[in-house]
Amino acid sequence: MRKRLWPYLLALGPGLLAASAGNDAGGIATYASAGASYGYGLLWAMVIVTVCVGVVQEMSARMGAVTGKGFSDLVRETFTLRQTALILLTLLVANTGIIVSEFIGVAAAAELFGVSRYAAVPIAAVFVWLLVTRGSYGWVERIFLVLTLAFLAYIGAAFLAKPDWTAVLRGTIHPTLHFDRGYIHLLIALIGTTISPYMQLYVQSSVVEKGVTPEDYRYTRFDVIVGTLSAGIVAAFIIIATAATLHPRGIAVETAADAARALEPVAGEYAGWLFGLGLLGASLLAAGVLPLATTYMLSEALGFERGVSRSWSEAPIFMGILTGLILLGAVVALIPGLPLIKVLVGVYVLNGLLLPVELFAVLRLVNDPELMGPHVNGRIYNILAWTIAVAVSALSLVLIVMTVADWVG
Amino acid sequence: MIFLTSIVDRPVQGKSGEPIGRLEDLIVRIGDDRDLPVKYPPITGLVVRDGRRRFFVPGRHLQGINGTVQLSSSTVDLQGFTRRSGEILLRRDVLDHQLIDITGRRIVRVNDVQLTPVEGTYRVVGVDISPQALLRRLGPRAFAPRIVGRQIIDWTDVQYLASAAPVQLKVSYDRLAELHPVDLARIVDALSYRESAEIVAALDEETAAETLEEVSDERVADLLEGMDQERAADILEEMTPGAAADALEDLDSEVAEQLLARMEPEEAADVQVHLEYDEDSVGRIMTTDFVHVPIDSTVGSALAAIRALEEVPDPLLAVYVVAPDDPQTLRGLVRLRTLILADPATPLTEVMDEDVPTVSPDDRAESAARTLAEYNLLAVPVLGESRRFLGIVTVDDALAVLLPEVWQRRGGRTFA
Repeated sequence: MRKRLWPYLLALGPGLLAASAGNDAGGIATYASAGASYGYGLLWAMVIVTVCVGVVQEMSARMGAVTGKGFSDLVRETFTLRQTALILLTLLVANTGIIVSEFIGVAAAAELFGVSRYAAVPIAAVFVWLLVTRGSYGWVERIFLVLTLAFLAYIGAAFLAKPDWTAVLRGTIHPTLHFDRGYIHLLIALIGTTISPYMQLYVQSSVVEKGVTPEDYRYTRFDVIVGTLSAGIVAAFIIIATAATLHPRGIAVETAADAARALEPVAGEYAGWLFGLGLLGASLLAAGVLPLATTYMLSEALGFERGVSRSWSEAPIFMGILTGLILLGAVVALIPGLPLIKVLVGVYVLNGLLLPVELFAVLRLVNDPELMGPHVNGRIYNILAWTIAVAVSALSLVLIVMTVADWVG
Repeated sequence: MIFLTSIVDRPVQGKSGEPIGRLEDLIVRIGDDRDLPVKYPPITGLVVRDGRRRFFVPGRHLQGINGTVQLSSSTVDLQGFTRRSGEILLRRDVLDHQLIDITGRRIVRVNDVQLTPVEGTYRVVGVDISPQALLRRLGPRAFAPRIVGRQIIDWTDVQYLASAAPVQLKVSYDRLAELHPVDLARIVDALSYRESAEIVAALDEETAAETLEEVSDERVADLLEGMDQERAADILEEMTPGAAADALEDLDSEVAEQLLARMEPEEAADVQVHLEYDEDSVGRIMTTDFVHVPIDSTVGSALAAIRALEEVPDPLLAVYVVAPDDPQTLRGLVRLRTLILADPATPLTEVMDEDVPTVSPDDRAESAARTLAEYNLLAVPVLGESRRFLGIVTVDDALAVLLPEVWQRRGGRTFA
């Protein structure tokens, strides 16, 4: 099995995988909403966000290659305990939000197939829990990954929808800013879904796991760039497809079915099925991996006995956190009358709001000469990285101020 | 008894109480090859911070620790602090880092470091790994004494990982030898690649081989690829041929061939045989190391033949009876128990089992396990094309296949 898959995995690489992981339930919802509500008006942001992802992913991968350690390890070993607690808490909240969003993705996919989410979500939760704690997740993971290829159909859909390409180009290169809350909201969600902290954690630890050295880091960097670009392109085409099909008809993306309608030019009446398969694959993939990853992150940093091969009595905290995260995700997704797509986008707004904490932590670590030696950021690169961190923070601040202003009156 | 986190950042005072700065860190030497190995490393120096400057104070000036840090002299030579090989900083390189708890057979994270004055010198005596130590450090300082509970591991029971400090260190890994290869493998799987490479590098070839047999396939491939080829080949020779084949298969084919070429021809050939069969097939897990005797022997001569072997297979469960002119034609087997109980003069034909279930090398490994279970056997012979006798599958080998894959231990870590 492994022998045959090896060349593919080698070609894909962690950078590509991590970047495609960004196109999960929440990602699709955000891109589709962006296209449906603002047409091509947010394409320029996608370009900038893709550059940001590239820079952040690159720094994470470089940290992994140079230090040989994962992010939570480095945080615990470099920051004070109180700072560590803050950073871990932020990551916990962000990841929990995404876990919730993945189960919502399962619910939305189930409803496209005409299955009640009250049946689908509990089954998915039990299934995921069993896979993670008992069985081998490896091959199942690959099936889920293949299912997510359904989203490539958006590229075809975008072309078939015959968009006005000059408008597309204008939207891509000409930044426009609206100061209404919905727009800022989507902008932050766009950033939050594309630069999710868990993607950086993943890139860094897979680089560490593979034992990449600073000498052969350049291959990893190539992989990161290719991954970022391809994920950015898929995201852009989702925006173009929804902008060309839904925006002119004034359809805002409220449900998964709305987002699926943009696939009609390709799949016709099967659009819902195609979208549902992709959504199910993406959601289950992340729903299995994220609780486990989050639990490992906490356990490693705090030093609990860990490992799913351990029993409840041997590793009670580990198993407790893992089970709790899956349970929480499933229960929230089952709340009756939950506006699914709104919650999905909301989760990524939260992610975007928490992102500055992680970004500044990365910057502090990647510029620590004792950790990175000669591999700290170069001067121009550092200016770029800081600009990104400051800009993301400023946007988050704007959103908070606007929200508070809304409350006040 | 003093704990590191209760004294760092505290004021440092000279002989007559004048302020010198605040305590930034404590320096210890570990694994110093000039002296005899020190069980409890003494504090050899202090790093004191004054504003933005950090300077070094030799350990002999440390007089006492009592809320503040007292020095025995006031005229401290203010050398700037620079890192030197062989020296580690307790706060920077030990506190919050991972260690191996030898008696607990696990990886722990240091939440505090315990110091004790021994004959006028402060020494590191243990590490606190309790969650309470974390709470003490998280909350306000005033609350810290109210949180009780410690979980101290003696310093002589921990293995420090040299890769935790950014300096050259000669650390003794002797105590790792006390761990069972299965426990070592679990630790190797749970650590990051670089730390695990450090551990494996410290093991002798035999232990390294036994450990790698239990480590997940991906990690083994990375470790073998990362180490010196000569050593990798030596370790592969020590591994069971099936495990070595599994490991080589996960490597880049070019590297795998180079390693095979560096192995002893005999061992390499053995591994090649196993490589011809698919992973998880009977051919991959079978052993070609078994005792065969010609059918015209007696019980006595069979026992003598076993004793005359240079290396006796382990486990030895039965001897395989083959045609006199062709060791690849299986005629039956005699269980070791039967062999020991029978009269030495008895011909083997009288005590041997002829009706023996067999498996094919292309069968799935699980089917060999099922055959073993169904017929209550400890080993089953493997017959290849035209019923050539190739090897045996023992219950140990089959059991390893049946146990669930341990990917989870690492699968999740990839994201953490």
